[in-house]
Amino acid sequence: MAEGDIFVYAIVGFFAGLYFFYKGFGWLNRKRLIENTPTSKIRSIAMGLVEVYGEALPAFGKILKSPLSAKDCVYYKYKIEEYRRAGKHSTWVTVKEGAEGIPFFLRDETGAVLVDPNGCDADIPQDFQFQSGTNKDPPASIRQFLAKNDMSFEGFLGINKTMKYAEYYIAPKDKLFIMGNAGDNPYVEEATGTENAADIMIQKGDKNKFYYISDRSEKKVLKDLGTKTFLGIYGGAALTVICLAVMLGYLGML
Amino acid sequence: MAFGLELIFLTIIVLAVLGIAAYIVSIYNGLVRLKNDIKKAWANIDVLLKQRSDELPKLIESVKGYMKHEREVLTSLTKARTEFLKAKSMSEKAAADGMISQALKSIFAVAENYPQLKASENFIQLQNRISGLENELADRREFYNDSANEFNIRIESFPDTIIAGMMGLRQPAEMFKVAEEEKKDVEVKF
Repeated sequence: MAEGDIFVYAIVGFFAGLYFFYKGFGWLNRKRLIENTPTSKIRSIAMGLVEVYGEALPAFGKILKSPLSAKDCVYYKYKIEEYRRAGKHSTWVTVKEGAEGIPFFLRDETGAVLVDPNGCDADIPQDFQFQSGTNKDPPASIRQFLAKNDMSFEGFLGINKTMKYAEYYIAPKDKLFIMGNAGDNPYVEEATGTENAADIMIQKGDKNKFYYISDRSEKKVLKDLGTKTFLGIYGGAALTVICLAVMLGYLGML
Repeated sequence: MAFGLELIFLTIIVLAVLGIAAYIVSIYNGLVRLKNDIKKAWANIDVLLKQRSDELPKLIESVKGYMKHEREVLTSLTKARTEFLKAKSMSEKAAADGMISQALKSIFAVAENYPQLKASENFIQLQNRISGLENELADRREFYNDSANEFNIRIESFPDTIIAGMMGLRQPAEMFKVAEEEKKDVEVKF
């Protein structure tokens, strides 16, 4: 590594440290909000910010197919990356990403409520991953998706590009922890839902933008946020100071 | 060289001050939110109490023709409803709520002795509606108590207790207690 590179990395690290320091407090606020909000039973949820836990079930017989693995789901997000070289450097570049959801029911032991996952911060683990490259073609479902979007896994002279495909989805029967805004279902006239549960819908709020869906339990979500908060605040501060020291050392000021 | 070290110390101090300030703001906002959440949780109970209270005259009307010999049960329900309508504070409403729940249990238990009443569609509808409200009330009481408990823990925990003290939040939130009579099983005489 050239000496000049160290200085550049130190500058990047300095700002990254400040960013994580700032982000750490965002995670702290989120952690406290989740901790402070008791979980509601679905049959008695009130309007406004609610926290619920239950099982996802398709609503009105509608279901989505995830784009890369063609699995039944009610929400998905995906990311396709391509490995590109430029001179001495090479990096993964995101060439396409997206998310889609349809309203689904969340059911607990007391009842069910409609959830519109669009616009949520979906904290769900990767369900599907594939890497295509030389002598490794992607499966048919990915090829179909690429063709539909005018994309190709082949490059110059038909040689396969190195590409990564990642997909995350919420499948029926997944257990979900949701924090979002319970409001009137905008798709039905008030109190006319064929099921009572269809009159109310959990969605992204107009005032309260916090909308979080995870397939982990509240305890695990909080533990993860606690770790992120600690690393963000203390790690970010430490990274900022260390990188500053490296920069000053490089400039001969230490 | 000294300038470089000074700059590092200054950065550490700035980060520490920013961190402490952000932490205090986070605690302050959290306490404000908790305080308001308790009020909202109580308001959500109050809405259901009112809805249930509105259903009671219809229930009394539908059963009084059948339960001519159960005047005592009906009177206790009417009395409990009057208490609820007079109640102003949370504790008064909670006490009246307990009385209503107990009176309703008695009415539904006594109704078992009147097959014609049990078969009445109007009574079945009212019973389902009131039972549904009772279930929702039970959930919301639990939710209220969880919110109050969280608030009480926060205002006594360090470092939140310091900020809570400065905000004048020293009084623990009142919990929604179930009246002793409500815990007892209803005695049905055949």
